[in-house]
Amino acid sequence: MANNLKGTVWKAEGYVFAYDIIKQEFWTSALDKEENSKWVMGGVHPDFDQENGFKSNGYSFIVAGHNFAGGGKSIEHVITGLMGAGIKAVIAESFSRLQFRNAINYGLPFITCKGIEAIASTGDELEVDPISGQIKNLSTGKEIQAAPVAPFVAEVAEAGGLISYIQNVIKEGKVDELR
Amino acid sequence: MAGLTLTEIIMAQQSGRDSVRPGELVWADVNSIMTMDYLGKSTFNIFDSLGAKDLFDRDKVICVSDHLVPPPTEAFANLLNEWREIVKAHNVTHFYDFGKQGIAHQIMVEDGHVLPGTISIGTDSHANSYGAVGAVGNAVSVTDAAVAMATGKGWFRVPETVKFHITGKWQPWVMGKDLSLHIMNMMHWNGDLIYKALEYDGPAMSDLSMGGRISLCNMTVDLGAKNGIVAPDDKTQAYLNGVAKGDWEMMSSDSNAEYEAEYEIDISNVGPVVAKPDNLDDVVTVDEVVGTKLNQIFIGTCTNGRVEDFGIAAAILEGKQVHPDINMLMVPASQTQYLEAMEKGYVSTLVKAGVAIGTSGCAPCFGTHRGVAGDGDVVLSAGNRNMKGRMGSKSAEIYLTSPAVCAASALTGRIADPRDLPMPKNFGVTYGE
Repeated sequence: MANNLKGTVWKAEGYVFAYDIIKQEFWTSALDKEENSKWVMGGVHPDFDQENGFKSNGYSFIVAGHNFAGGGKSIEHVITGLMGAGIKAVIAESFSRLQFRNAINYGLPFITCKGIEAIASTGDELEVDPISGQIKNLSTGKEIQAAPVAPFVAEVAEAGGLISYIQNVIKEGKVDELR
Repeated sequence: MAGLTLTEIIMAQQSGRDSVRPGELVWADVNSIMTMDYLGKSTFNIFDSLGAKDLFDRDKVICVSDHLVPPPTEAFANLLNEWREIVKAHNVTHFYDFGKQGIAHQIMVEDGHVLPGTISIGTDSHANSYGAVGAVGNAVSVTDAAVAMATGKGWFRVPETVKFHITGKWQPWVMGKDLSLHIMNMMHWNGDLIYKALEYDGPAMSDLSMGGRISLCNMTVDLGAKNGIVAPDDKTQAYLNGVAKGDWEMMSSDSNAEYEAEYEIDISNVGPVVAKPDNLDDVVTVDEVVGTKLNQIFIGTCTNGRVEDFGIAAAILEGKQVHPDINMLMVPASQTQYLEAMEKGYVSTLVKAGVAIGTSGCAPCFGTHRGVAGDGDVVLSAGNRNMKGRMGSKSAEIYLTSPAVCAASALTGRIADPRDLPMPKNFGVTYGE
């Protein structure tokens, strides 16, 4: 997992539901980062509800408030869609449990950070280190400390996701070492 | 040093640690893994890709046909056949297929696949039900389930625990479901319980039946929580006696455990409640909606399809008739619950009263099986979700409530308060004893 991610941020105005990140008509699509990214965030804002409507902005981070991607949907397209659209990390006050798990299983950092909404605005440049939890707003100079991402999360991301991580663990006969 | 909550104790023990902190990620042993008909094939396909020689334990992977049986369409029938083929190819010990079927969560608990003090997971959101016997029960993705099937382990975030201390005496006709919806009203589905462990204790919890505890833990997922848990007690022991698939010990939170928040609810003040259509947390006391005209009533699901739910409906409907404007459907949560409800005479009482009984399983709860709602239908349901389109037509309205309110309302065709009924002579349902 890269330790100094840089790029521009899109900040959610209000609550973001999983089923607005991926609208219902795409729930049964195949899981494919490129395909899922074309209509990602379509239900969040009318500007995003067109092909590549979100992706074409080139955002690297999403900043959000409480229960990001909540609403009880476990669909993994939420994560593949955001990754395909170039999102390198989501920084929020809190996350829905189902999508927090999916993000870790795909290697997309979901970083929990109390107070992040107050120090970032859409269009700001951020520098984010998921491992240490250091977040700098390069546009305003403000800094904030987030919860560091657990070493296991970084390992899964390095491996390219939970499935390949576990394939390696099994191949190397290291199941007993999972703790 | 601060003590640990029951959920923390279980996570520490199952991950080989002395202690854990909220927020920590741990790999922990999983005691049993449930997967079912419509997601099971994907789960086994991912399992096959992992390179494991075999299931970590063929007795601990529990396969259930519940969402698709009996298949209402050709597509479902085909899915079911593919599911059977893949289950058989993996040589699992416990396959609850058509004839032995039921809702997976009910089967996991009633047949002793969930042991107090352990972690059990399932590929369906209401796996939170397992907390009723003092386990950590979690809904996971097919990927997580496949990984656990290969390794016997899963990764877990240790949640902060919020305690609900329940005191007082249950009023007649008030059930675990009412407490569940009452808490939904207090805390909201998108509130402060996201990703938390919810622990229920106190004297009124000791008084609550196992069925009521399942209803309560079942809907913790709809509060956004990670799990709901009730420490095992004498009732748990009696319930698991003879069915538990393994040894277990009594356990509870440390007396100096640290909770993120604690709430006290005096159950004496909680009457029957109803969630109004579309929003789970739009909950009102029954008197605010008494008189609402209905045309469908449904009692069933993993939330309220058990013997006690049939018992309370039978107590209300005995010797009476369902109102002619009402289609009333009841569906047992499992074949075991069906048989017991039949042996106790509840089924014949209900059929004589004009209730249709469906085949054990998830039934119309998620809008695909016999009993779905049509345009403009007004449904009173003892299920767990009421969003638009959940049971079929998007223009149908779904009110959620307890089986007692459902049965009382069946008499008049309008939402009714069961406390207005005379106490029946045969009132022997054990939900409040």
